[in-house]
Amino acid sequence: MMKEKLRVGVIGCGNIFNLAHKHVLKKLENVKVIAFMDIKEERAKQAAKEFNASYYTKLDEFLDLDLDVVEILTPTYTHAELAIKSLKSGKHVIVEKPIALTSEEAEKMIKTAEKESLNLFVGHVRRFDKRWMQIKEVIKTRNILPMQIKKSEFQRLPFPGDYWYWKPDKSGGVAIDLGVHITDFLRWYFESEPIEVFGIGKMIRKEAITNNTYDHFTMIIKFDGGQTGIAEVSWAYPYPARYGVFYHYLDIIGKNGRIKYIPMDTPIIGIVKNQFEMPRFSPMLSTFPDAFEREIKHFLECITKEKEPIVTAYDSKIALEIAEKAINSTKKGEPIKMEPQNPCIKKEVP
Amino acid sequence: MIRFGIISYAHPHALRYVPTINNSPTAEVYAISGDGSNSNVAKREAQRFKAKFYENYENLLKDEKVDAVYIAIETYRHKEVAIRAAEEKKHILLEKPIALTLDDADEIIRAARKNDVKLMVPFNPRFTTPLMKVKDMIKAGEIGELEYIYTISEYVKPPIFLEGLDLSWFLDERKAGGGGFMDTAPHGIDSLLWLTESEPKRIYADIGSKIYGFPVDDIGIAVLEFKNGVVAVLNAGWGNPKGYSYGLEIKYHLMGKEGFFDIRTAYPDFTVYQDKAEKIYWERTDVENIVNLFIQSIIQNKDPPITGEDAKKNLAIVLAAYKSSKTRKCIYL
Repeated sequence: MMKEKLRVGVIGCGNIFNLAHKHVLKKLENVKVIAFMDIKEERAKQAAKEFNASYYTKLDEFLDLDLDVVEILTPTYTHAELAIKSLKSGKHVIVEKPIALTSEEAEKMIKTAEKESLNLFVGHVRRFDKRWMQIKEVIKTRNILPMQIKKSEFQRLPFPGDYWYWKPDKSGGVAIDLGVHITDFLRWYFESEPIEVFGIGKMIRKEAITNNTYDHFTMIIKFDGGQTGIAEVSWAYPYPARYGVFYHYLDIIGKNGRIKYIPMDTPIIGIVKNQFEMPRFSPMLSTFPDAFEREIKHFLECITKEKEPIVTAYDSKIALEIAEKAINSTKKGEPIKMEPQNPCIKKEVP
Repeated sequence: MIRFGIISYAHPHALRYVPTINNSPTAEVYAISGDGSNSNVAKREAQRFKAKFYENYENLLKDEKVDAVYIAIETYRHKEVAIRAAEEKKHILLEKPIALTLDDADEIIRAARKNDVKLMVPFNPRFTTPLMKVKDMIKAGEIGELEYIYTISEYVKPPIFLEGLDLSWFLDERKAGGGGFMDTAPHGIDSLLWLTESEPKRIYADIGSKIYGFPVDDIGIAVLEFKNGVVAVLNAGWGNPKGYSYGLEIKYHLMGKEGFFDIRTAYPDFTVYQDKAEKIYWERTDVENIVNLFIQSIIQNKDPPITGEDAKKNLAIVLAAYKSSKTRKCIYL
């Protein structure tokens, strides 16, 4: 039997915590946030204060606590170590996407979770975003039968050149960081497995060139049902960064119709006060705010009710593998074949 | 006054070019031949424009009054007709693609050169107002160095649905050289060559009969890396279903280091909503520009804006895309 409230601990109190997870954790009634950990004491302290919780800067001390779930919201390169240690100390894990920096690390994480009989969930938040859920639903109900899907996610990364996103050995670059959103999306929509990947990367901004990382990346992914996906990601889009806009472009060509989601055709509510604010409702948001809530609720429910999640760590590992292969492809200059995958498991909408 | 002979209404572009030629102050539609598909339409249009009607192009070419020809016959007959036109010293405006093969293209180019006639192959988008403006702005450095282009070059639906015309040859690879990608990709590729002022280093493509079950491909996607570093993604074919209210869909997303263009349509239009929504173009400067520039190249004895060599280069890229799709390899040009 589970305890009345899930005891949650959070590792990493930076961007994604403050933008998204914090607000959800405050709202959820069956959750008690026990502790925060961050290597920057000030950030952990601030978070702890908001939740009336304790805070730590040492992982061992943090993991000694009696916690049901650990949320890992740290830079990508730390995911594997933190997740494995958390699992080994008996905690379920919810980790931000990408699952890890490499698919080898992802494999170890999955193996550890299996060995410990604990859950490992990865925050593929696109799967919980109403827009993409509804379009997926329309594809089903109208029997669109997608054969080609092009999805672009373009933004201007608003961080300076010494920030971890720009370090390929910390984030994997845009092909990994945003890439896994689309590679997972394509598997989800096609319900089919990738067999071949072609990639072309570019280094456009000086932050990218200095760090030798791609900041604009195009992938063509062929699937075993004859479908083709085009994934395009960019950190170099020349929007003024202060608007924080995020450009989703989705074009689905199916045997029985076509669906387009193009931000220029969809409504935006922008606010200009003494300074520009992020739109409150806009297709220019990377994620609709309630997607994180739906995601975390779903994962917690999978723990309490011992349900299968709609997106597994295994899905996440494949998403990462596709992006890795795309990076290899751009280096090799040729498409790269992918190993046969297990059949895609069809899942219920949460 | 340049007297035009129109050879065939097999390609539906004839319906757009012929009135434009006729409206030009320096040209007239003098004769029309009814070779190939839609000869009944050719005959009807000859009456409408009070032009001489010839059953076949051979007689039209022998008519000494004809100065120039617009050839809209099925692609597989381009070589035969264009070479004969050159031999009869007619200047040639030849529908795209230039031919089925690069060798055929060479023969056409050689015949035109040998007989000292102009040869132009029209690709429309670069003659539209939005794209001409964009090109000027790129040249003026307004978006900085060009980095990425997404070009949509699509037709609304398989052309067999066009009313009143027999366009079944578009679904015959031996006659058209391919399907939806062959039909529409040359436009996007021309735009890319023109906008980048560079040439592709390599191309990877996926083209197939994916939507309608036709014997030819219906949609295709290609990614091209240019020598100057620009990466381009090209979406081409007949991917829009019958219910889509556009005709041509020619759109661009251009990204430079310091700005971007979102060209939502190269062909400005408005929409009429009744029982269904219908887009009507309010400006098609492209055909007028093409016809006028072709005429100017004759009168002023200079190269037309798109030469046979340019069209051959275009075809080489289209064929490389097909090869990439077939071999599942990246093709280095």
